[in-house]
Amino acid sequence: MEGNWAQVLFNSAVTSSLYLIAAIGLTLTYGLSGFPNFAYAEFMTFGAYIGYFVSRQLGLDIIFAFIGAFLASGALGALTYQGVFRFLANRGATKIHLMVASIGLGFAIRHIIGDRWGWPPFTFGISWSAFDIGAIRVTDLWLGLIFTALATAAIMHLVLTRTKTGKAIRGISTNPELALASGINIERVNLVTWGFGAGLAGIAGLFWGAMAALSPLLGWTTILPVFAVTILGGIGSFYGILAAAFILGLAENLGTVALTQFGFSTEYRMAIAFIILIATLVARPQGLARAFRRL
Amino acid sequence: MGLLINFLDIIVFIGIFAIVALSLNLEYGFTGLGNFGKVAFFLVGAYTYAVLMERTEIPFYVALVMAMLTSAGIGLLVSLPALRLREDYLAIVTLAIGEILRLIVKTEDWLAHGVWGITVPSAIHWSGISVLETRLVNVGLVYFCLIVCFTFMELLTKSPYGRILRAIREDEVAAEALGKDRVKYKAQVLMLGSALAGLGGGLYAQYMRFIEPYMFMPMVTFTVWIIVIVGGSANNWGMLLGATLVKLFERGALVIKDYFHLPIDPINLQYILFGVFVIFLLAYRPQGLLKERQIKTKAVEVVQRWRNRCSE
Repeated sequence: MEGNWAQVLFNSAVTSSLYLIAAIGLTLTYGLSGFPNFAYAEFMTFGAYIGYFVSRQLGLDIIFAFIGAFLASGALGALTYQGVFRFLANRGATKIHLMVASIGLGFAIRHIIGDRWGWPPFTFGISWSAFDIGAIRVTDLWLGLIFTALATAAIMHLVLTRTKTGKAIRGISTNPELALASGINIERVNLVTWGFGAGLAGIAGLFWGAMAALSPLLGWTTILPVFAVTILGGIGSFYGILAAAFILGLAENLGTVALTQFGFSTEYRMAIAFIILIATLVARPQGLARAFRRL
Repeated sequence: MGLLINFLDIIVFIGIFAIVALSLNLEYGFTGLGNFGKVAFFLVGAYTYAVLMERTEIPFYVALVMAMLTSAGIGLLVSLPALRLREDYLAIVTLAIGEILRLIVKTEDWLAHGVWGITVPSAIHWSGISVLETRLVNVGLVYFCLIVCFTFMELLTKSPYGRILRAIREDEVAAEALGKDRVKYKAQVLMLGSALAGLGGGLYAQYMRFIEPYMFMPMVTFTVWIIVIVGGSANNWGMLLGATLVKLFERGALVIKDYFHLPIDPINLQYILFGVFVIFLLAYRPQGLLKERQIKTKAVEVVQRWRNRCSE
C-alpha cells in the first residue's frame, strides 16, 4: 500500500458502517437495561449464518438473506430478553449475574451454531462485483454496507425524535423512574429495542460474514471494537456512536497502515480498539455523548 | 493402572481450577468485582512460568513465584482504568485484556513460539520415575499449593480485612463513608486474585508441559465462573465442591464421546448445557450449593445473646 489514502478513507467508511450498524442495538439495550449483553456477539453470528442459509442453502436472492438475518436475529434477541434477561431480572438477579448469564447464553448459541454448521471457517461463496471509482477499488457489497449504514442512521434519527417509542427509549435511558411515572410501558419498549437492535446486529453479522468468512467465532472476534464504539460513544447514546463508529473505523484503518509501516503484525488491528477503549475509560468515561447534549 | 492415571489427571485439574476459583471468589464472591478476564491472569502465570523455565536455570518454585508476581502486576495495571467506574466497565476491560493478551502471545513468536506453543521443561526430573509417580508428585504439588491458598483465603476473608471487603460488596458508598478507601481495597483484591490465578496458570503449565494460545480461550473464564456460582460465591468450601463437580462433568462429556453416539457432538453439547445450566442456576439458586456463612465475631455474639434475651 503505497499511500493510496483515498482507498484507506474508503475502507474506513466501510469499517465504520459495519461498527455503526452493529453497535446501535448494543448501546440502546445497554442504556435501557443497564448491563452489557455479551451474547450480542452471537446475535451477529446467528444473523450471518441465517443469511448464509437463506442465500446459499435455500438459494434465494441476497436481499432475502438480509431480511432473514434481520428477522431471525431480532426474534432471537426479543426471545432471549423475554426468556432469559427479563426473567432473571424479575427474580432479582444483579448486574453481574446478568452479565454471567449473557456469557452463558452466548456460549450456548455459539456451540449450537458450531454444531449445526461446523467449526471450520468458510467463505460466503458469492463473488461480489468489484469496480474502480477513480483510485478507489469498491465492491457492490461495500457500497451496500455504506448505504445500509446511512439509511439506518437516518431511520434511527427519525425514530428517536419523531416516534413515541423512540422518545420512550430516550426517556427510559435517561430516567427510568420518571419514564415509568409518566406512563411509558417500559417492558414493551425494552422488548422492541432488544428485538430491533438484535436484528440490526444480525445484518451487521451477515455483512461481516459476506466480506470475510463465516465462523461460529465471527461475532466474538468483532465484539471488542463494537464495545469500544459503545463506550466511546457513551452508553445508550445513538448520536455518540455515530461519531464513535466513524472515529474507530478511521483509527483502525490508519492504525493498520501504521502497524505495517512500523513493522508490527496487522494482527494487532484488534488492539487499536482496545487502546481506544482504555483511553476512553481513563480520559472520558462518560463517552462522547455529553458533547451532543441530546441522548 | 490406566484408570488410576486418568483419575489422578482429573484430581490435578480439580486442584488447579479450585485455586483459580478461589481467586475469583475473593474478587467476585467477597468483594463484588466482576472479573470476566480470569483467563488473562491464568495465561500470564502459565506463560511466565513456561518462558522462565525454558530460558533460565532457576528452580521451578522461583518460577512459580515469578508467575504470581507478574500476574499480580498485570492485575494492578488492569485495575487502574476501570476500578473507579461502574462494575460493568471492569467486566468489559477484563474481558478485553484476555483477548489482547492471547493475541500478543499468539503474534509474538520470539516470546513463546506463537501458535506453535511452548514446551515446558518438567520440574520433576528424577531418573527412573514412572508416569504414575509423576502424576502423584503433581497431585502433591498442586494440593500443597491449594491447601496453602485455601487456608490463606479462609484466614483472610474471616479477618477484619475480609469484613471490609464484604462491606464494600454490600454498599461501597457506606464503606467509603466509614473511611475505607474502596479503590485501594479493590486494587489490592485484584492484585491478590491475579496472583492466585497466576499460580494456577503456572501449575497448569508445569503439569501440561506444553502450552499454546488456544488453551486460553474465554471458555476458561466461563468455567471458573460456573465453579464459583455452582459452589456458592463467598464460600471457600464451595470452590472445592464446585471445581470437583464442574471438572467431573467436563470429563464425563469426554467419556460419553467414546461410548455413546449422540446426534450432537458431546463437546458442543457440554458447552450448550453449561450455558443453559448457569442461567437456571442464577434464576433458581443464585447463592450456589453452599451458602455464604456469617462470620462469628465477639460483637455478633453479643448482639445474638441480646436478641435471644429480648425474645424470651
